[in-house]
Amino acid sequence: MDYPQDLRYSTEHEWVRVEGGRATVGITAFAQDALGDVVYVQLPDVGALVTAGASVSEVESTKSVSEIFAPVSGEIVSVNGTLEDAPELLNSDPYGTGWILTVEMSDTGELAALMDAAGYRTLVES
Amino acid sequence: MGSVAGPTVWRLFDDLDTPRTAAGQMGADLALLDEVAAGGLPALRLYRWAPPALSLGRFQADADVDVDACTRLGVEVVRRPTGGRALLHGGDLTYAVAMPLPDHAPSVDARYRMLAAGLIAGLAALGVEAEVASHAGPAGPVCFTAQRGADLRVGGRKLCGSAQVQRGPALLQHGSILLRRLAFDETDLVRHESPAARAEARSRLGSATVTLAELGAPTDPREVADALVEGFVRAVGVRMTSAPCDGATCAGAGIEVETSPAGATADR
Repeated sequence: MDYPQDLRYSTEHEWVRVEGGRATVGITAFAQDALGDVVYVQLPDVGALVTAGASVSEVESTKSVSEIFAPVSGEIVSVNGTLEDAPELLNSDPYGTGWILTVEMSDTGELAALMDAAGYRTLVES
Repeated sequence: MGSVAGPTVWRLFDDLDTPRTAAGQMGADLALLDEVAAGGLPALRLYRWAPPALSLGRFQADADVDVDACTRLGVEVVRRPTGGRALLHGGDLTYAVAMPLPDHAPSVDARYRMLAAGLIAGLAALGVEAEVASHAGPAGPVCFTAQRGADLRVGGRKLCGSAQVQRGPALLQHGSILLRRLAFDETDLVRHESPAARAEARSRLGSATVTLAELGAPTDPREVADALVEGFVRAVGVRMTSAPCDGATCAGAGIEVETSPAGATADR
């Protein structure tokens, strides 16, 4: 299983890539594997305000519908529209082209509550 | 996508004779999911649909539905909280399980397998040898023409289709066991490009599915429901109690349950 070193991770199996005050969010390789083939991603509205830990999106796989939780609080400044036609990117490239949304963080201090790669690895492999 | 350890006592809601609209049925399932997500005991609910209803997957396009046909045939249309495609209810028995995400079954597949064990055990008691389906079948607007790991089949034909939704620390899985066919099927209720496409879909649906009646198995809903309950008890290792959930919560969700004094619950 892949755990990129430059990302932060939530206990709900989302990843965060921080660039300045912005956080790009997706689901981990573990999450996509557990879900199975993703067939639909419900994208939130750009401009919506999200709170860390709150549901922000839903993903449908061939077997289940699952919530995606915001790992940080802030305003959604972009969503990955490519997923509307190619939801399978969550499976094939979860840390790259399968990103889901970008948040302008309102409190970068929340990043401290997320895990580093080693911590997340311990979570999913323990 | 969290997970917590689940207790082994399940609340049993026998709703075979509880009249509800299609929307009411989905509301009752969701209420159980919300209760479990809030820390309530797991639950198994068994119910039927009258009048018949066409349930759509969580994100299925409304345009798939032939609204005029549904109206003409007296079929309610409702959207499920779970994924998948259109499914006709009326000739089926539906089960719903709401439970915490099990630690020992981290993937969706593993959770399906865990609950499939209960369904398979229950069907075996009816003389039906069902197995978990592998992924196969074309994608389309009708649930029962596709076979997935969530489904149970007999002799390669689908007998039971199931779907899941996860909310926070809990999951809802509900599914439909085909007792007998109605005078019409899903292909009469969803849109097709042409009469020929509809005929082909109908043929495919017929050959891809099987009912308990066609298998010569019992079709009495009560008998099937009892077998499923026993299947979950034996194969999943749970204990059923008819103890109601919190009265206020259930009343608010439209679930009618008899309240009983503490210690007077009927275990099975």
